[in-house]
Amino acid sequence: MMTVTNTSCFGSEPDGCEADIETATLHVDNPGEFFFQLTDSLQAVFSTDSIITFAVRGDADVHELAPTFTLSPGATVTPASGSVHDFSQGPVTYTVTSQDGHWQRRYRVLVVPTLITVADTLFYNFEHYELDPVFNRYYIWYNTLPDGSLGNDWATANDGYRISMGSATAMDYPTTPLLNGYEGAGVCLTTRDTGPFGRMANKRLAAGNMYLGTFDMKIAMSDHLHATRFGIPFTSRPDSFTGYYTFEPGATVQDFYGNPIAGRTDSASIYAVFYRNHDAAGNEVVLYGDNVLSSDLLVAVADLGYVAPTQQWTQWNVKFEYREEVDEQLLANRGYSMAIVFSSSTSGGSFTGAIGSRLCIDKVRLICSHNE
Amino acid sequence: MNINRIITTTLLTAAAVLGMSAMPLLDSLKVDIRAGYEVGGTLPTHLDNKIRHINNFDPGLNYTLGVEATLPLKGRWFLHSGLRYELGSMDVDSRVKNYDIEVVRGDESLDGIFNGNVRIRSAQRRFTLPVQAGFAPSDKVALRGGLFVGLLTHKRFWGWAYDGYLREGSPVGPKIEMGSEPGERGDFDFGGDMRRWQWGVDAGLDWQFHHRWGLFAELTYSLNGLFRSNFHSVQPLHPMYGSLGISYRIK
Repeated sequence: MMTVTNTSCFGSEPDGCEADIETATLHVDNPGEFFFQLTDSLQAVFSTDSIITFAVRGDADVHELAPTFTLSPGATVTPASGSVHDFSQGPVTYTVTSQDGHWQRRYRVLVVPTLITVADTLFYNFEHYELDPVFNRYYIWYNTLPDGSLGNDWATANDGYRISMGSATAMDYPTTPLLNGYEGAGVCLTTRDTGPFGRMANKRLAAGNMYLGTFDMKIAMSDHLHATRFGIPFTSRPDSFTGYYTFEPGATVQDFYGNPIAGRTDSASIYAVFYRNHDAAGNEVVLYGDNVLSSDLLVAVADLGYVAPTQQWTQWNVKFEYREEVDEQLLANRGYSMAIVFSSSTSGGSFTGAIGSRLCIDKVRLICSHNE
Repeated sequence: MNINRIITTTLLTAAAVLGMSAMPLLDSLKVDIRAGYEVGGTLPTHLDNKIRHINNFDPGLNYTLGVEATLPLKGRWFLHSGLRYELGSMDVDSRVKNYDIEVVRGDESLDGIFNGNVRIRSAQRRFTLPVQAGFAPSDKVALRGGLFVGLLTHKRFWGWAYDGYLREGSPVGPKIEMGSEPGERGDFDFGGDMRRWQWGVDAGLDWQFHHRWGLFAELTYSLNGLFRSNFHSVQPLHPMYGSLGISYRIK
């Protein structure tokens, strides 16, 4: 074979056309009194985000702050990175322009003084959902926060499914609303076929999932196990985890290569984990599909274990099993995170499961207690 | 002149040239068997600055076989035609910036702006019918030029975008990283979008160093492109085949 290696390139390098804020940093003189955790001062911004929120201590002074940004190569931002603004009046809008001048993105930056609420019970009823605002292709959910406002603590991998099955309608996605749940609307997780792209990539199915955390679309294809970032900061001490479910396993469990596995019934996952969200070196930590039940940082786990198939709404009530004491100071400083995880196929992370497995859930509760 | 008319004209001319072989002119007709090495690639209509670096270019090394006839005309002029069987392949790996790309599989597609590396491979087998006019400056050397039509019996075009990221839809769309392994990268297969018929220009050079043996060089460039006109997933590409070989005169 003749092989030619050429080192020339063609013309001058084209200007960049991206217009992202890639990271946002907030430097203050007294970070220990301003932030709950020192790592809160730096935020990596997902390409799908256009709102950047710094949650700071309730008594932090947010009148004169100068966030700085790293941008796409060659891009510029107005107002300038490092300029001083008053964040007490709500968000400040920044506009990023690409190096080539053709593309712009607008970001809203919020610095939100946050009062630590110690709730007795957190309610998740799945009544608030809508089509995603960017593509209008799949559903996203909002949860009701203790103060009555809506939060976006629930994440799904629906956006990743969109990469492989752009033609799917919203109700064909793995995670969909259920109009008649146990009470009002519920949510349904269904293991879905990922179509021709999935077969090509040996990722033949997508388990329906829903969890407290975030989904990192950027690595959904290159590193799917780390795209599901389990956990959100949690400031109460969880005691038990309850809710209602139905589960119907799909007809045939298939392996990674799509071959049927005879005699096996698909299983679902319902669990909640409470963990320290910084490692010994002080780095911020979220858990992933490959360590959510095995991390050294786990403090308490409530795992339903075997999810018995049933078409009737069935209640679960699982106590958190503690592995270590809760540090009240750390709890008040948002040093713990909670991840509730639901999946319609337990081995979906390795693309094993039964297409059609369907786990529906509703009226989820985290019952918490105060340490007197 | 539309493509069908060019193909029809070429075929009729070729048939005429071949048909003449049965006529009294037969005595002056020369017939060669040809075999050669062939390099078959596809070239973009232009290399733009979105291609930053050619990491590797392997034009493939294949063979061509043919039976070709030369009919002397007045003076040093002649007509030339024949039938060739040609294999072509290509393997090119390049680093790109702001590169429009569409990854397609079945009914599903994903498109956007890609920054990273793109590997493109192609393989074709085709029967080619050239129709050329020629001029022989000496008894041993001949120059030929004309048109050809080619019928592809095997067509593949595939590859993958890897070690980079896609901005889905536009430069401000979601960023999707692509790794290097199957399943992490963006594979595509556009073999089904390739044309079955190709036509274009064909030039050749012959050196008859022996009364039966000769050497030849041939270059064909397809003008109607590799893909159907309604296909836009990759930039227009034009197959170009070059061959070097040996000829043996059987008549």
